Amino acid sequence: MSDIKSKLLLDLADSVVNMDEEQTVELAKNYIAHNLDPYEGINQGLALGMDRAGTLYEEEEYFIPELLMCSDAMYAGLDVLRPHLKQDNLEDNHKIVIGVVQGDTHDIGKNLVKIMLETTGFEVIDLGRDVPPLDFVNTAKEIKADIIALSTLMTTTMEGMQEVIRLLEGENLQNQIKVMIGGGPISKGFADKIGAYYAGDASKAAVLAQSLVKEV
Amino acid sequence: MKDRMTPLERAKAIARGEMADRLPCNPNVANGVARVYGCKISEFNSNARLIAAAQVASYRRFGYDGVRIFTDLFPWAEAMGAKINFPVDNTADLAAPALGDLSDINRLEAADPYKDGRLPVHIEAMKYLIEELGDEVPCAGGIVGPFTNAFFLLGIERMSKLFFTNPEVIHRACEVSLETCIRYAQAIIDVGLTPTISEPMSSCTIVGPRHFREFGEPYIKKLVHYITNQGNPVTMHICGKTEKIWEDIVAMGIAGFSVDNVVDLQKCKEQVGDRVKILGHVDPSAVMYAGTPADVRAAVIKCVQQAWDSPKGYVIMSGCSLPVETPFTNIEAMMETAREIGYPIDPEKLDKMLR
Repeated sequence: MSDIKSKLLLDLADSVVNMDEEQTVELAKNYIAHNLDPYEGINQGLALGMDRAGTLYEEEEYFIPELLMCSDAMYAGLDVLRPHLKQDNLEDNHKIVIGVVQGDTHDIGKNLVKIMLETTGFEVIDLGRDVPPLDFVNTAKEIKADIIALSTLMTTTMEGMQEVIRLLEGENLQNQIKVMIGGGPISKGFADKIGAYYAGDASKAAVLAQSLVKEV
Repeated sequence: MKDRMTPLERAKAIARGEMADRLPCNPNVANGVARVYGCKISEFNSNARLIAAAQVASYRRFGYDGVRIFTDLFPWAEAMGAKINFPVDNTADLAAPALGDLSDINRLEAADPYKDGRLPVHIEAMKYLIEELGDEVPCAGGIVGPFTNAFFLLGIERMSKLFFTNPEVIHRACEVSLETCIRYAQAIIDVGLTPTISEPMSSCTIVGPRHFREFGEPYIKKLVHYITNQGNPVTMHICGKTEKIWEDIVAMGIAGFSVDNVVDLQKCKEQVGDRVKILGHVDPSAVMYAGTPADVRAAVIKCVQQAWDSPKGYVIMSGCSLPVETPFTNIEAMMETAREIGYPIDPEKLDKMLR
């Protein structure tokens, strides 16, 4: 890797971690001006920065506001790099339907998971928040999704997660469409109980999703 | 097993160091009281008698040690202009913050607890509650604290970013928010109940200690002082991780601190139990909602093992409000375990109970 490229990738990651949206945009433009591969810019620059931010969150150095600022910086950089991606660089064969379960309108966690999934190459269909269980299943069938990812911050919506799995089982689709769940009140115990896969946080969700599609 | 004391008799006896039948225990049933009483949660939005009747029915069924008028996190923000979703039979949620355009920040006004939104309904419910149960069980009025409420005025995501871009707006929102909280706290006190504060957004799971200390703590502290200066002890609940702000919370002068199940209960007792009563922290999701009565029993015993000897006292409680569909059998198991453990606590008996 050329010196300039590795330096720019590192700077991109740093500017995401430092929550500096303007600098991230400048660096991304500079990166493209050097004719460097936008795919690597995303994966080894922006996403790496987001990864490091995620680690800082786990270490309780960063918190939700810091992560949101990082993700703004990262999205700003993505907007610069994305138009330069060659279509065949996108691994669009794996699809995920994501959303916040009906009864909950908190979507910070869901948005972070979506970013992580997108930067690891998934095509993510975002149904937004307060989504009825049936909508997840119908959309997943329609677009032939590999995974349904459900997020919640509220204990009151956990029934809805179970309902999604019941609906899938009702159509005998539970082996084709895996369900991963996460969010504040969700535990591995609860996920095991309802037959879902548990993601402890956004970066773990991305790793889990990759392993789930490899299993298929 | 039957209780031999009312919750008030029990609380007084334990506070005096006298004999009691068991530790206080509060599963924190929340809107699940609608399942006990047999009504829709949305009926709580306008029917004060029903709110109180459902609380009474749930208390009579389970015999726990505290009742509270508190239906969701949003009545205060709603009373200040926020839009709320009201599902027919589930807990209300925020649809849109009170403030659309940030430049309108100076038009934001504190709510009137006797006029705005659902606040008068809740105050009225408190009157019925204390009439019915005031001589046997501690009755509380819940308040969402000024910092958390400010998130619902500004929008959760937007406020998170304003920490970095426009701190003045947050301070202004917290100030108006505090005024609403103070007026509501006074209304609670006037009816004869005790205010309790919920501050979920103060959690280190959401906001870092630096922002909490700059934007949250100064306003929450004023609310705590307002209440305690009138001779009322305040209990505060914060969801999620809190270890990094324990000292800040305790320094506010609260009497009770209700902790989430992600917290290390023993460590919490060791660090701040000499200054504050500790309440917690059976997992409301994995154990109370998704577990079996045997899981509940084991979880209660483990909590008691960790915190029964806390110098300022300990109350068995769930780590947060229970999910609406929590099985009654699990709530009963929590109460039964408290009765089985008895009082005073015998650590050897606790060990045996787990075997």
